[in-house]
Amino acid sequence: MADISQTRLPKSPFRGPTTSVWQVRVLRMRELAANILSNPTTVLGLAIIGMLLGMAIFAPFIAEPNIPDAYQMPRDWGAVRKPPGTPGHILGTTNEGGDVFYGVVWGSRTSLQLSLIVVSATVIIGTIVGSIAGFLGGWVDEVLMRIVDVFLSIPELIFALAIAAMLGPSFSNIIIALSMVIWVKYARIMRAQIIQVKQNEYIDAARVIGDSKINIYFRDILPNSFTPVMVQATLDMGNVVLIGATLSFIGLSEAGIAEWGVLVSEGQAGIASGRWWASTFPGLMIFLWALAFNLVGDGLRDALDPRTEGR
Amino acid sequence: MQLRDYIIRRLIVLPILIIGVSIVVFSLTRISGSPVGIYLSHEMSPAEVQQIEARYGLDKPLPVQYYAWAKGVLQGDLGWSGVAAAPVTEVFPNKLAATMELAFSAGFVAVSLGIWLGTFAGARRNRWPDHITRIVAVSGASLPLFWLGILLLIIFWANLGWAPIGRSDATIWASIAHPTGLYTVDALLAGNLKAFGDAVWHLALPALTLGYGATAIIARMMRSSLVEELQQDYVDAARAKGLPERLVLRRHARRNALIPTVTVIGLTFGFLLQGTITAEIIFRWPGLGRWMADSVLRGDQATIMTYVLFTSVLFLMVNLVVDVIYAHLDRRVVLGG
Repeated sequence: MADISQTRLPKSPFRGPTTSVWQVRVLRMRELAANILSNPTTVLGLAIIGMLLGMAIFAPFIAEPNIPDAYQMPRDWGAVRKPPGTPGHILGTTNEGGDVFYGVVWGSRTSLQLSLIVVSATVIIGTIVGSIAGFLGGWVDEVLMRIVDVFLSIPELIFALAIAAMLGPSFSNIIIALSMVIWVKYARIMRAQIIQVKQNEYIDAARVIGDSKINIYFRDILPNSFTPVMVQATLDMGNVVLIGATLSFIGLSEAGIAEWGVLVSEGQAGIASGRWWASTFPGLMIFLWALAFNLVGDGLRDALDPRTEGR
Repeated sequence: MQLRDYIIRRLIVLPILIIGVSIVVFSLTRISGSPVGIYLSHEMSPAEVQQIEARYGLDKPLPVQYYAWAKGVLQGDLGWSGVAAAPVTEVFPNKLAATMELAFSAGFVAVSLGIWLGTFAGARRNRWPDHITRIVAVSGASLPLFWLGILLLIIFWANLGWAPIGRSDATIWASIAHPTGLYTVDALLAGNLKAFGDAVWHLALPALTLGYGATAIIARMMRSSLVEELQQDYVDAARAKGLPERLVLRRHARRNALIPTVTVIGLTFGFLLQGTITAEIIFRWPGLGRWMADSVLRGDQATIMTYVLFTSVLFLMVNLVVDVIYAHLDRRVVLGG
C-alpha cells in the first residue's frame, strides 16, 4: 500500500520568503526546457546532434586513427574503388583507396572543430562590438554599424570564398575566413538587443541607486540580451559546417583531409563510372549535421518567442 | 517617415555602401602581400620585381593605389583575367548571360513550385501533404546544394542516362545565332524549337538543384501565411455565403497570403546568387560562378575582385527594391529606426 507520507512532492524552486534573481532564472530555464522537449522535431534534432557528437568524441574508438595524422584520410592502395560492404571498408573506398567510413567518422571531428571555433569566436567578437555600439551609442555606434552594414552587403558565401582564396587553401584559413564574415550578424543582433533592454525600468532603477555602468552592463543588460544570440549561435553551428563544406568542396581545403566537403568533391569523379558511394555518404553527414542544428535552433526560437510558432 | 523620404534616404546610403564594399574588396587583395606575385617568375631579380611594381604603381601608398584601381573600374577597366586569358570586361557579358539564365530558371522553378506547394500544404493543414511540405521546407536550408546536384546526377545522368551535362549540345548551339547570350531566348528568336528544347533540357537539373533551397523558403512562408489567412473572419464570411472552397482559396485567402510571400521571394535572391557557384561546378555550366571558382583556385585577383564587387552591388540593389516593395505593401512597417 502506498504511504502518502513517503510520496515526494516536487521541490519548490522558491526556498524561503525572498526570491533571488537566480531562482527566477532557474525556474524559467526549467520552463524553457519543458517547452523545448514538448516539440517532437526539436527532440529529433537533439537526438541527431547527440549521435554526431558521440561520433566526434569517440572517433578514435570507432575508426582506428590514421598514423601520424588522424585528420588525414588513410590510403589503402590495395583496396581502391571498392563498393560498400567490402570487408574492412563497410562504406566502400575512394579512388585513392580512402576508407569512406573513416572519412565519415573523422569528418564529424573536423566539423565539430570548425563550428565550435567559428561560432565561439564570432559570438565573442560580435557581442563585444555590438555591446560597445549599443551601450555607448553616439558616433561610436554610428561608425561601428556602418562597418557592419558594409560587411553585410557582401553575400556570405562569396565573401568567405574571397577571403579564403586570398589567404590560400587550407582548412585553418577556412576557419579564419568564416569568422571574419559571420561576426557582424552577432554585432547587429547584440546591439539591437542592448538598445531595447536599456529602455527597461529596472535599468533606470539600477542607475538611480548608483550602480556603476560596468555593473549594470554585466549584471542587468548582458544576461537579458543574450537569448537571440543563443538562437542564432545554434543555427550557425549548422550553417558554418554547411558553408565550410562548400568552401572545401570548391577546393579551399588541403586535399586528403578527412572533411566531408572534400570527400564529396573527391567522390564526384567516380559517379560517371557508377561509384556513387564516395560522395553520397559524406554529403549525407553534412545534411544531417545542418538539419539537426536547424531543427533545434527553430525549436529554441519557437520556445523563446511564441509568436513564431508553427512557421 | 514617408515612403518617398525612405526611398530617398536609402538611395543616398547606397553609393556609400558600394564605396565601402569596394574598399573591403581592395583590401582583400592586399592580405597576401603584393598582387604582382602570380605574374613573377623565379629568374627575375629583385630590381626587376621592383620595376614591375613601379610600372603598376604598386610602390605608391595604398590610398593612391585604391584611387587608381577605383578610377579604372569606373572607366570599365577591370583588369586581366589569368584564368580566361583575356580582359575581364571581354569575358564578363557571356558568362553573366549564362549565369543569369540559370538563376532566373531556378527562380522560376522556386516561385512556381514554392507557391504551389505552400498552398497545397496550407489548405490541407496537418494532413500528409502538409507533412511532406514541412520536410521539404526544413531540409531546404540544410541540404548542401552540391550534394543534391551530385545525387541528381547519379540518378538521372549516370544511371538513367536521361539528363545531359553542360549547357548545350555543341552542334545545335552552333546552328543558331546568339545575340543575347541567353540560350533559350536566342533559340526562340531564331524560331528553332529543337534548340529551345535542347536549352530547356540542359537547364532542367541545374535549375532544380539551384532552386530547391529557395523553393523551400517560399513554400514555408506561403504555407504559414495561408494558414493564418484561412483563420480570418472574411474567409468564414465567404464560406457562409456559399462560395465553393476552391474559390475561397483562390480568390480570397491565397491572394492575401501572397503579400508576405512576395517579400520572401526577394530575399531568396542572395541564396540563388551564391548557389550558382557550386551548381555551375557540378553541371559544368560556363557561367560566372565557375569562372569565380577557377579564379579562386588559381589566384586570379582581377576576376575575384570583379565578381565580389558585382555580386555585392547586385545584392544591395535587389535588397533595396525588396525593402521598398515591403514598405509599400505593409505601411505598418516602421521605416528608419
